[in-house]
Amino acid sequence: MKLSRRKFVKDAAAGAMLVGGAPAMLGRAFAAEKVRLCSLNPLSGAFAGVGKPGEAGAHLAIQALAKDYGLDIDYVSIDSEGNPGRGVAKVLAEIQQGGTKFFAGAILSSVALAVGAEVHKAGGVFFTSVGADEVTGANCNRSMFRWSVPTYGAIQETVVPLIAMFPDAKRWYTITPKYVFGDSLLRNAVDVFKQKGMEHVGNSYHSLTETEFSGYLTNAAAAKPDVLLLLNFGSQSTNTLRQAADFGLKQKMKIVMVWAAGLEQYQEIGSDILDGVYVGCQYDVTIDSPGNKKIVELFKRDANRISSYGSVAGYICADLVMRGMKAAGSAEPAAVIKALEGMKYEGPTGDEEIQAFDHQCVKNYYLLKGKPAAQKKSSDDYVEIVSFGKSFLTQAQSLCKMA
Amino acid sequence: MLASIAAVVVLPLILPSVAMATEVVVFIVATLGCNLLLGYVGLLSFGQAISFGVGAYACGLALIHLHVGVWGGLFAALICSAIAGLVVGALSIQKRGIYFVMLTFAFSQMFYFIAYAMAGVTGGDNGLLNVPRPPLTVFGVTLLSLATPLSMYSMAAIVFLILFAFLRRVVASPFGSTLIAIRENEERAIAVGYNTRIFKIIAFVFSSWVTGIAGALYALFLNFAPLSNIDVSMSERIIIMTIVGGANSLFGSVLGATFYVVVGNLLSSVWPRWLLVLGIILIVVAGYLRGGLWSGVEWTWQRLRARWAVAGAIEQREDGGDA
Amino acid sequence: MNLYLIQVLNGLGIGMIYFLIAVGLSVIFGIMNFVNFAHGAFYLLGAYLCYAIAAATDSFWLALAVGPLAIGALAWAAETRFLCRLYRVEHMYQILVTLGLALVIQELVVLIWGPIGTHVSAPALFRGVLSYGDFAYPKYRLFVIGFSAVLALTLWLLLERTRYGAILRAGTESTEMVSLLGIDIFRLFSLTFALGAYLAGLAGVLAAPIRGAEPFMGPEALTIAFVVVVIGGMGSFAGALAGGLLVGVVQSVMSSLWSEGANVMIYVAMALVILLRPRGLFGRT
Repeated sequence: MKLSRRKFVKDAAAGAMLVGGAPAMLGRAFAAEKVRLCSLNPLSGAFAGVGKPGEAGAHLAIQALAKDYGLDIDYVSIDSEGNPGRGVAKVLAEIQQGGTKFFAGAILSSVALAVGAEVHKAGGVFFTSVGADEVTGANCNRSMFRWSVPTYGAIQETVVPLIAMFPDAKRWYTITPKYVFGDSLLRNAVDVFKQKGMEHVGNSYHSLTETEFSGYLTNAAAAKPDVLLLLNFGSQSTNTLRQAADFGLKQKMKIVMVWAAGLEQYQEIGSDILDGVYVGCQYDVTIDSPGNKKIVELFKRDANRISSYGSVAGYICADLVMRGMKAAGSAEPAAVIKALEGMKYEGPTGDEEIQAFDHQCVKNYYLLKGKPAAQKKSSDDYVEIVSFGKSFLTQAQSLCKMA
Repeated sequence: MLASIAAVVVLPLILPSVAMATEVVVFIVATLGCNLLLGYVGLLSFGQAISFGVGAYACGLALIHLHVGVWGGLFAALICSAIAGLVVGALSIQKRGIYFVMLTFAFSQMFYFIAYAMAGVTGGDNGLLNVPRPPLTVFGVTLLSLATPLSMYSMAAIVFLILFAFLRRVVASPFGSTLIAIRENEERAIAVGYNTRIFKIIAFVFSSWVTGIAGALYALFLNFAPLSNIDVSMSERIIIMTIVGGANSLFGSVLGATFYVVVGNLLSSVWPRWLLVLGIILIVVAGYLRGGLWSGVEWTWQRLRARWAVAGAIEQREDGGDA
Repeated sequence: MNLYLIQVLNGLGIGMIYFLIAVGLSVIFGIMNFVNFAHGAFYLLGAYLCYAIAAATDSFWLALAVGPLAIGALAWAAETRFLCRLYRVEHMYQILVTLGLALVIQELVVLIWGPIGTHVSAPALFRGVLSYGDFAYPKYRLFVIGFSAVLALTLWLLLERTRYGAILRAGTESTEMVSLLGIDIFRLFSLTFALGAYLAGLAGVLAAPIRGAEPFMGPEALTIAFVVVVIGGMGSFAGALAGGLLVGVVQSVMSSLWSEGANVMIYVAMALVILLRPRGLFGRT
């Protein structure tokens, strides 16, 4: 008898080791009256640099706007760790534990697509600003909404105006990351080249973790292009640009970075290198629109920071979810979705609209040019707007067939 | 064994969500695979992510394209990861020590590259999306619809318990003893007449298919098989769970995986710099608590037993004295 | 032909930096049989100290002189305080501890300097390109090649002509013999570890103007270091040099031939070397 009792106690003691969950039990609070809005961003791991502003923007939106909309929002921030598996697992946990139906953010396309599928299964709403076409294309669903302009618009609003501005620049070389997203950008660019009779003199693919671009740049220089089109993004585009400047390529050709991350990236690159380089971005602080004026004011007043794409993206996704709730007059996801579809609103880039058939926001994409250090009005005044516009696939062209 | 059953029953009750409990069980299974290789054969392999990722992709692809049921998905994962394990193992086993480790590391990177290059099949960096979760059926009779979180958890838990019981038998068997003998002193094992290479390859394959099943469960749980499953950092994570839990005991896997997933989730929700704390934990465990959490449990248990034994002896003497 | 010439030059530049990262790891493993997963963290610190010192004093040269020394000192402290206890322990625990240390250093860097990367300018003396007709090459990269070559020569002289070097070389053959000859093995280990860290930090300082400083650059250096050490041969100076240059040049040339595959090729090469010629190009069996 003693032996089996001992064994049982031993087993129980071992089992009790697992009760590290005492604080977790306290965490199991179900929000009854308040509506939970969860902001999902990579706060640790390799993408923490982009995740932090996004989270700050979302938090600001809730603090500043919820009361005005007559909403009581319970804000939750989840760290996706830049890892899609972890991100989705945490979202699942959040749906079960907090009964959360409203999600905003993501930053990484791989996270957004999977989270969108899960939120759809749970009948929630997910507003994101990632780049992958599939979000409002082949993988669209009724729960997912997207603020940022996908690859078609990004290329149309950067390459086409440049071709118009520099009719003699016919030779284009592309540097493309071997991502599904990179391939989308390339496909769109090649289409434009064909349409406008441009010469695509070459393309260099590179891998996901490349930091050394001298080889690709050497290739590019050897092809003697008029324009070097960078289709990569994040720290890879920063390094490519930096190394292109090192090799004196800025003097030999025009350089265009199609998918820039905004102010944080400009700060990292620095004016010396950014001077004379063309970048495409979803947003800029100098946008002249009533919506943007309010946002710039708010950011300065409440958070003492300059609004950048990263933070504004987080801000606007949270804001739009709340607007949906206000317009629907309820926190019932189906009603909110209905209210959001076709909603026209005053956004950061001017008048914006959420398309009903694919849940894509119709907004401007900007072509900007780096300013020389001497012309900067303030230390954060890196770029000036050259042109902007709205370019989106029509419903007939879109791959989105929402049930 | 009883402890495992208790743990598995208790987990969804004490953790804040069933989803977290499911994640824990998935990684317990993955850690079991690594434990077998690291703890019982003494082989440190960075190839865990290969099996985990291949298992997840195999299960996902089987469910999406071949429309097999859950059993089919698990079976596909088992076969594919076993084959991957056979190939990688047979090649890697030829070398020992740090060279073996580096070789598995190189293979891991190669498989990662293949997975992302074959974007048409695996979804590339977007991952394999929309993995269905059909109900669990046997001969057409629906046993369990896996639609609810609790039913998904139950299935994962049952798979774990079956695997755990199976591995305990394996470890206790002559085969298991041979593995331990190889870990302790490979030259002697060879001298006694064992073909250690075959044993090591078999152990590698075992470790692979167990990890592959974990990958399949993960794909079912997330309805998604991301590229990150096959990334070297996944191998690192699994190795950390194994060592922190205690590499020398199968139950250590339960402790290690639970600890890592729960503490990781808890910390990351509190502080974005939670990796700092993880780093410190790793240093402390590897520096001072080499048997992992399991040795901590055992140590505590020995102390308690000693105290009770003394108390019992004193009791007896007093009883005897009174009589 | 011009294209390939420039690619080779690119490769030499990267390769020299790889050599600096790898030689420390090679010697640390060759002599101490210690697997150091924190090696990449020394590289990371080198890049950030370069940024911090250059930002504060506007002098890259000061950063180059002082930064790696500081890292060497830090490594010395870490080694003598607690890493030395791990020499007899199995590799897996060494990996775990140094992995933990790497994480701690990485997160501390984020805490101090933030998660976003920063830019480091090349020293004024070497800014811009060297032009020769059609050929234009960044002056700074040429400086890196030249400086690293001088450094490699100095290291070689250290190894071949000094007493410490002789002890180090003997140590890669057998530490037991060395200690039996009356040499303080623990001092040797500490010095070696500090030297390895110094070189990795130096690599970080040199790399910073080329690829900036960002908190998550540690793992990439570590991976490359392992590949180079395996290909070149553990514990071998010549191996680290040959391996580093080979990997650098192959990567560069591959970017003209098969760009997506440039990275995976080095792992295939690593696996082939381990399987077919485990001691690498110059290592001992």
